Amino acid sequence: MMRSATAPLAALAVTTLALGLAGCAVGSGDDPDSVTLTLGTWRTEDATMWENDIIPAFEASHPGITVEYAPIDTNDYNAAIQSQIDGGTGPDVIMCRPFDVNRAWIDKGYFEPLDGLDAIGSFPESALAAWEGDDGTPYCVPVASVLAGFYYNAAIFDELGLEVPQTQEEFLEVLDAIKEDGQYAPLALGSADGWQLAYNMLYQVGPNAWKGEEGRLGLIDGTQRLTDPDFVEGFRIFDSFKGYLPNGFESISYEDMTQLFTLGKAAILPDGSWQISQVTSTGLDVGVFGAPPAAKGDQRYQQEMADMAFGLNAASTQKEAATEFLEWLGTSEFQQLYVNKLPGFFSMGGEPVKYDNALAQEFADLKEGAELTSRLALDRLSAGQPPLDDEIWRVAQLMYNSGLSPEEATAELQAGLDSWYTPAQ
Amino acid sequence: MIRTPARYRLLAMFVLPALLVYVAFSVYPLISSVVLSFFESSGQTSAFVGTANYVDLFTNPTTNARFWNALGNNVEFFLIHLLVELPIGLLMAALLTSGRLRRSVGVYRTLLFIPATLSVVIVGFIWRLIINPLWGLVEFPLLGTEATALPTISLMSVWQYIGIPMIFLYTALLAIPDDVIEASRIDGAGSWTAFWRIKFPLIAPQFGLIVILTYIWTFNGFDIVYALNGSAPGPNYSTDILGTFFYRSFFGSSGQVADLDLGATVASVIFLLILVTTAAYFWLVQRRLKTYEL
Repeated sequence: MMRSATAPLAALAVTTLALGLAGCAVGSGDDPDSVTLTLGTWRTEDATMWENDIIPAFEASHPGITVEYAPIDTNDYNAAIQSQIDGGTGPDVIMCRPFDVNRAWIDKGYFEPLDGLDAIGSFPESALAAWEGDDGTPYCVPVASVLAGFYYNAAIFDELGLEVPQTQEEFLEVLDAIKEDGQYAPLALGSADGWQLAYNMLYQVGPNAWKGEEGRLGLIDGTQRLTDPDFVEGFRIFDSFKGYLPNGFESISYEDMTQLFTLGKAAILPDGSWQISQVTSTGLDVGVFGAPPAAKGDQRYQQEMADMAFGLNAASTQKEAATEFLEWLGTSEFQQLYVNKLPGFFSMGGEPVKYDNALAQEFADLKEGAELTSRLALDRLSAGQPPLDDEIWRVAQLMYNSGLSPEEATAELQAGLDSWYTPAQ
Repeated sequence: MIRTPARYRLLAMFVLPALLVYVAFSVYPLISSVVLSFFESSGQTSAFVGTANYVDLFTNPTTNARFWNALGNNVEFFLIHLLVELPIGLLMAALLTSGRLRRSVGVYRTLLFIPATLSVVIVGFIWRLIINPLWGLVEFPLLGTEATALPTISLMSVWQYIGIPMIFLYTALLAIPDDVIEASRIDGAGSWTAFWRIKFPLIAPQFGLIVILTYIWTFNGFDIVYALNGSAPGPNYSTDILGTFFYRSFFGSSGQVADLDLGATVASVIFLLILVTTAAYFWLVQRRLKTYEL
């Protein structure tokens, strides 16, 4: 009786143990000459491109190194990668979030410093800034940035005899003309997704008023406040587009906007360069322009957001191979290959890159003559409670939906920021 | 008859595997999450800080305001389920067992239950299209105004899960022996009287269970709001419920660092809230509902 009662228990214990051991055994390399690197990224949608084009190109020039692309869904990326690294199972090469999130990861000791790398030298300081530690040490090799712009339907512009606006006033006149004509929605824009009001509108039209980096860095070092006239003006420009939104815009989501534009029912779509393939998928003739300045000849500011970079996991056992991979990311061979496989993402390297996609080239041309600036609130200003970026999403929605004024909006945001952010003087 | 020690061994043999799984995947994570809420971790180190995280949650004006807002929304989310889903579920169960639908009972039962088997993402997507002001049936931005967003989402959820209380109550009603009803008919009771005086008292314990289950489900709710409005559910956090508030604190957002300690604190508070209310309900209400032997 005794024996038969305990036997299943023992069997259970043995099975559990065996399963556990099997789990551990998987993953250790068997060929001593070849090294397998894992890349942790949030770009699930690029898996085919990496696996079919980019990784083979790397492997061809670096025999003995195999690279495994290991994407995690964007929304779960931060939490998943943090728990992987804390649990000692992190990938060898980690895709770095820009600014505050990455700074927190640097503080946690996730990354190996990269100041010795040749690849780092091939990027301008502005490209590296999003991934540096507090002391300026680089921790990630920049891969790509995204730009913001206004896509326009060239056929509609031709039909109504409109030209690409050169000033803010002209922009509103163009929108008025489309509105008066009545056939098309002037702006394909909804406020259901707060993030895109901030990223694609406010951070795009606002920098012309708060002078791009001057205003952004001013907020960070505490010499400027959101209640200053320049910022209030930036929020006012954002507010001036309210009258051109389609009916029911309060519940029009990001996907709806894109669809409205690609179906040819709207003339202008404020969006990021990452949507290039999407907006041209229905065969529309699409052009793009940047947020125009107040008057002709004024300095123009163009949003360029550092988006992707790769860092080296400090706990990696394959540091040598991983370093080779990171060095390769700095080469123009990689950059040329990458940006043309993925139109809408732009090289951050110092050397000019040719873009095969016409619209991507048009986007890249927007950088010429413009001062580049990052999204307003992602650097340091969102590292506490309430995070300024989240607050801007909310307040931007309130401005469009409930008529919150630019003065009220900026005062509310500054109060939130004051509650935790004390810049080092 | 097996002697007692052997009986305990046998009992242990049957219980232990399930118990191990339960402890490993439910009890342990729960306890460790509660433990986590008493620590402050930064980098590789973490220090015991007592109730500091709780104090912070309830005194920091930002998190505090978000918490109460989420709790208030959650109460509304629950009340809409309670006042719409349960009565309609009961009505449908009563209709299904009334004998008036005759042979089509099976069809109705299946149709009403189908939404409960769908994924929340699909339900959210379908409804979002139906009420889309650009190409849907309703021009009013139901999901876009603070006053209508939460009721709209709640009703979508009601639509999806109405089959659950219905099927519970339906089986309870089926269990009532026909002779009890027949006896009441002979005594002169109409359908209305028979339902409220005889059938409902008999299924009251099941109805009470459904009430408390609805409470637990809605206070653990997360998916439908997340699927429709993301983890910072607007407009102006009007659809933020405890689940999304927890998610945002624990996992962070694309531009926000994950704060495990605060997240664990929020999770513990939600757990406590559900535990206390459920216990109070069982103590004060469910115990007093009579179960009749039929």
